[in-house]
Amino acid sequence: MAYQRKQNKGESPKLDMTPMIDVVFQLLIFFVVTLKQEDILSKLSAARPAPNTDEKIKDQQPDLINVIVAPQGFIFNGRPMRLPELDRGIERLSGYSKSAMVIIKCTADSPHAFLVQVLDVCNKHGMTNLSIFSM
Amino acid sequence: MDMTPMIDVVFQLIIFFVVTLKMTTDVNPDIVLEDGKHGVTLTQDNMPPSTLEIELDRSGRISIHNATMTPAMLRTILKNRINRHGNEFPVLIRADRRTQHEKVRKVMDICTESGIWKLSFLAIQEHKAKGNAKN
Repeated sequence: MAYQRKQNKGESPKLDMTPMIDVVFQLLIFFVVTLKQEDILSKLSAARPAPNTDEKIKDQQPDLINVIVAPQGFIFNGRPMRLPELDRGIERLSGYSKSAMVIIKCTADSPHAFLVQVLDVCNKHGMTNLSIFSM
Repeated sequence: MDMTPMIDVVFQLIIFFVVTLKMTTDVNPDIVLEDGKHGVTLTQDNMPPSTLEIELDRSGRISIHNATMTPAMLRTILKNRINRHGNEFPVLIRADRRTQHEKVRKVMDICTESGIWKLSFLAIQEHKAKGNAKN
């Protein structure tokens, strides 16, 4: 049998792209599906004075706003209330002075969510002078 | 049909997803944060590399980057940070919304004892992640 030499007619060899495209699309779909969007976070800042400074601050600052965080809700100006009422109360006081000190006193068994809610309400109305105390 | 531009684009997408994909999470995934729409949005700019994020789950387990630690270890870490950066570095507390305040208090007291008075609590400004409902 005579050896037949292939003749190159100047065309580039044909490469089958289909399997590669299949694999690449599989990868793409995998990454799109596994991509997890993260929540947008915010930070709520407050001061945490040493435990024995409570009385000193009370003497220095006459315009104090006291909020007590209890397991059932909030106590503001001696009255137990829920978040919408506290929101209105802080809003009213923020009209007088935004630099007034807000003292947030948390009871030991109150959930952390309540403290965050108070801090959020204070931030909402521009109160920046916040201090957290534990009871 | 010339497939080259499509393959280029698809490869670009794949490389993007490979680079941005985070397979392992470096925060405690069990922590459910409270909503805080009015806080300062957390961005790369207001989170310098010296930021310390302390995680506190529902049961009171303290961790940093999902590595559990004892209060004594946290004290040592804070001491080392203060030696390196002074006491001006931001401290973020990622505490579960259901955590009792007495557990949060322990973390805050450790910070205060170390000389850090300004603390920030993390909250969710905008929900983006799916299936992260409050319970």
